[in-house]
Amino acid sequence: MQKVVFRVKRYIPERGPKSYYEEFEVPFRRGMTVLDGLIYIKENLENTLSIRYSCRMAICGSCGMRINGIEMLACNTQVAELGVPIITVEPMRNFPLLKDLVVNMDEMFIKQRRLKTWLVRRDTEEQDNPTSQYLQSDEELVRYLQFSYCIQCGLCYSACPVVATFPKFYGPQPLMKSYRYIADSRDEGGRERLGLVDTSEGVWRCHFAGSCSKVCPKGVDPALAIQLLRRRVLTS
Amino acid sequence: MRERNIMLLHYATGLGILVFGAVHVFVVFFTYPLQGTIWETTLKFDNIPFAILPVYRNAILAASLWGLLLCTTIHSMNGLRVIFLELLGERAAMRVVSRVLYLVGAIIMIYGTRTIIVANMIT
Repeated sequence: MQKVVFRVKRYIPERGPKSYYEEFEVPFRRGMTVLDGLIYIKENLENTLSIRYSCRMAICGSCGMRINGIEMLACNTQVAELGVPIITVEPMRNFPLLKDLVVNMDEMFIKQRRLKTWLVRRDTEEQDNPTSQYLQSDEELVRYLQFSYCIQCGLCYSACPVVATFPKFYGPQPLMKSYRYIADSRDEGGRERLGLVDTSEGVWRCHFAGSCSKVCPKGVDPALAIQLLRRRVLTS
Repeated sequence: MRERNIMLLHYATGLGILVFGAVHVFVVFFTYPLQGTIWETTLKFDNIPFAILPVYRNAILAASLWGLLLCTTIHSMNGLRVIFLELLGERAAMRVVSRVLYLVGAIIMIYGTRTIIVANMIT
């Protein structure tokens, strides 16, 4: 493979409300990622192309997009592993589109905040000025460890078919994050959070399609978190 | 009613449909056809406003049929509520939809219960 064609979905609000596809030929090299290809396009072929990226090593979660129809991190996806000469790159779904491959992720973070996805302690004064460490056993850590690997890239939110049809649904990432803190032995805000997810927009609207878990680049299982959250709601 | 109680009821009635549905299938397919009159007596529904399998003219089986009616009604009405909720999403619209579904569910239950009772009174 000497060259690879990038078929990029473009959206430039100044040019009208319609999206369109534009093709770019990019020279292929071994180890090249989709993000490398997009940066090559921006630097050499079309400098108006908008992309969001930062760390280039699947840590920051900035370069989430749909590559050949599947939600992936562009920096974590090698062109060779796709095994096709034409790569279709589209922005994530379920988010308002800002420009080209850049989406507005505010809604997901607002939902996250609504579910109080941080460590809640009854004694807030002590939390602000801790006098000792909040100790935790290995067993207590394992209860939430995998869910703490989330990098908030929004791929699960984009892949969720329920968010697509019912945008008020909290979505996999905020619900998973909520469970992550409920399962944390140091947290004392579980009861309040369970009340927040036990609503018509909350945990019960998940239809367990499982696409969120399938696309997660960090191996987190949000669908599992939602099922565990349901159990907590029922037994609380 | 809290969402968790509604969904708990949804799961419980789902299980109820399995249990009472199994009784129903057993009764219809394994007992009654052997007597050979099922079509003539019941399934034609010719001008019979309370058509019901004669085998249900038995208190225990009639109760199981009523259980199936109850579980199916609750489960299906809540299923429709969830579908409408995801399609409409608006709280105001959902209040109307919920009331309509309560009404439809009540009508189904009243008519179904009446049918089972009337059928049991026939000698």
